Amino acid sequence: MIIMHTRSAHSTCLFFPLAFFISLFLSVGPSFAAGDTPTPTNPLMVLSADKQFQYAQDLFSTKDYSTASGEYKRFVYFFPKDRRVEFSMYQIGMSHFLGGHYQEAVSAFKKLTEQYFDTEYATKSYYRISDAYIKMKAFEQALIDLNNLVTITHNPDAKDEAYYRMGWIYIETASWNEARRYFNKISAKNRHKFELKKLSAALEKETAIPHKNPKLAGFLSIVPGAGYLYCGRYQDALIAFLLNGGLIYAAYESFDKGQSALGGVISFVEFGFYSGNIYGAISSAHKYNREKTGQFIQHIKENVKINLSADMKNKGVTLSLQWSF
Amino acid sequence: MNKLFRFFLFLIVLAVLGANAFAGQGAKPDYVKSANDGNAKKGDTLIFPIKIYQKYISSADGDRCPSYPTCSQYCSEAIKKHGAFLGWIMCSDRLIRDGRDETRLSDPVWVNGKKRTYDPVSNNDFWW
Repeated sequence: MIIMHTRSAHSTCLFFPLAFFISLFLSVGPSFAAGDTPTPTNPLMVLSADKQFQYAQDLFSTKDYSTASGEYKRFVYFFPKDRRVEFSMYQIGMSHFLGGHYQEAVSAFKKLTEQYFDTEYATKSYYRISDAYIKMKAFEQALIDLNNLVTITHNPDAKDEAYYRMGWIYIETASWNEARRYFNKISAKNRHKFELKKLSAALEKETAIPHKNPKLAGFLSIVPGAGYLYCGRYQDALIAFLLNGGLIYAAYESFDKGQSALGGVISFVEFGFYSGNIYGAISSAHKYNREKTGQFIQHIKENVKINLSADMKNKGVTLSLQWSF
Repeated sequence: MNKLFRFFLFLIVLAVLGANAFAGQGAKPDYVKSANDGNAKKGDTLIFPIKIYQKYISSADGDRCPSYPTCSQYCSEAIKKHGAFLGWIMCSDRLIRDGRDETRLSDPVWVNGKKRTYDPVSNNDFWW
């Protein structure tokens, strides 16, 4: 019995390690055996158009524009016949635009306009191209692209919006008459929508923008400081007058007392300050005009410009008006 | 007094000629401007005294210019961009304006925790 008991204990000791290794093999074995071959428990991921599009949309909505543009590109590449391809191409441009990559945005939108003709997103792409050029301060290029849209589109509303945008580009560059010319091209039915009456009234006030004549500022500077004084720079005027007056007197005294070398050095320095006084006065007049014109443009933008960029987040074309009472 | 008048007249003529010179440069086509850009090495030799000033005088004297870029840096950039003659005139203009009305009229900028007046060369040659 003792022997029997001993044998039984021994077999129990062997059984548990053996059972452990068998169970380990059974659990790990299938995964080694399966390898790369798809099985019902490990299927290959199938990418559907809906899933891919939704993923790109989610990235776009979370403002991960660089990844979103890549995923929209993937969508366009793998599902070229899907009805959402045009929109995806538009979104590629928007991703670049909102990500601040304006040149890439222009390229993406142009690709869309080359592929689609006079559709909603092709028209929008022309607007966005001009917006991107405006961001890059390339106003002429922005005008050219809007002009192209006017030439090719058959949609009168699209033409009117292009005219409106062109008018505003001319306002941005302080070309008031050109701006008026383009606003006048807007058809009668849309004049109310674009608040043209109010805009025209605001534009009439451009003649009241304070202005300093740069030539007059330069001419007045023959008397050192007078040009600065004309531009409202009183401290600069005083310094220019004292500095130039002092140096002229010093040079005169030097020459008068036969110290020609000293007089020459002082004259050289004085020449710089005297010319600088003229240059500064002209420059100050230009800066004054730039500032006042900028303030005027900002004022009318805040008060009468219709916000055409409200459709940036693909909410459809929405017009929002803003003005102060 | 006659001498003073003649000297003053001489200065006016010189300055007007100078003004005409920079007005003419503004009207130059782009290819001429790009040719001038190739004179960067020439500009480097012209700004050598400014570099000496920055290295040995300004570093000992202390950083006190209320504008950004500093006057010496502004002069250096103006000379590099427009040559010695116009650079010298722009530099003199900057020295007249530095720290006075410009602080009231131009945008402020924070540099190393100090409030400065932002007045780059591009803010004074945009009109020509």
